Amino acid sequence: MWPWPSTGKRLKMDECTQNQQWILSFYRTSEISGALFFGRLSQTMRPGPIQHDMTKHFADEATHAWYWTDCLARLGLEPLKLGSAYQDQYIAAAGMPVNLMEVLALTQVFEKRVIRQYAIHSQLSELNPVIRETLTRIMDDEKWHIEWIHEALKAMAPDYGQDVIDATLKRFSEADAQVYQNTMVEHAERLQALNGF
Amino acid sequence: MSDASQTVKETMAAFLKLPVAQLEDTRILTDLVSDSFLLVQMVIELQEEFGVRLVQEDLKTVKTVQDLTQLLTSRMTPQKPS
Repeated sequence: MWPWPSTGKRLKMDECTQNQQWILSFYRTSEISGALFFGRLSQTMRPGPIQHDMTKHFADEATHAWYWTDCLARLGLEPLKLGSAYQDQYIAAAGMPVNLMEVLALTQVFEKRVIRQYAIHSQLSELNPVIRETLTRIMDDEKWHIEWIHEALKAMAPDYGQDVIDATLKRFSEADAQVYQNTMVEHAERLQALNGF
Repeated sequence: MSDASQTVKETMAAFLKLPVAQLEDTRILTDLVSDSFLLVQMVIELQEEFGVRLVQEDLKTVKTVQDLTQLLTSRMTPQKPS
């Protein structure tokens, strides 16, 4: 359970718990969406290095969803059922990816955002050790996700064209900036509230 | 209908687990596949199967089964006679 120091701050502490619960549930929802997305895509893939790494990737995302579920439980919180994941906003902003290269480009941009977000969270003062431990475990895996996708995109250059890959990454990066501005406001405010507590 | 179009339709039907007869040319794809991700998965599957590369721009005008089969068959590399 989150260590509340005194009863004098009860109202503010409840608000803090709600923010905590929302943010961790947000992460959990996002990891579940990632696992489902790559899990389904792995069914379509032909055997080869990309299928191999993608299968590991979706297994990691599913494990991360479990880490967040367990983290919430260890804090005495239940996961919130949130409407949509962060990834859904990307698709709304930049359109559905229609080939494997576009899927990987979208994921590359998304994974970089996730790492940045987790890094910001891990820098909060008075961060609960259970959350810190979870963030650290996940960030190690996320680094590998960025690496394997980077390599896969490099290998796709002769097939799709480096200029097309670069343009796709640019398009999704622009969508990322837009999504971050439009939909991460609530996340940022809640994180800020935790930091100020 | 060309052999290539029929093959594309059969692949689509197998992916969607539907009888080929349900894939009429005028059928709107989003009516056929309500889950947008499933549609993306199918498009990726078709590209993998037929060695075709499509980009988002290509699909902007694709609405029906026929639109998609025509797009794919127009991009397929003709088989050289053995």
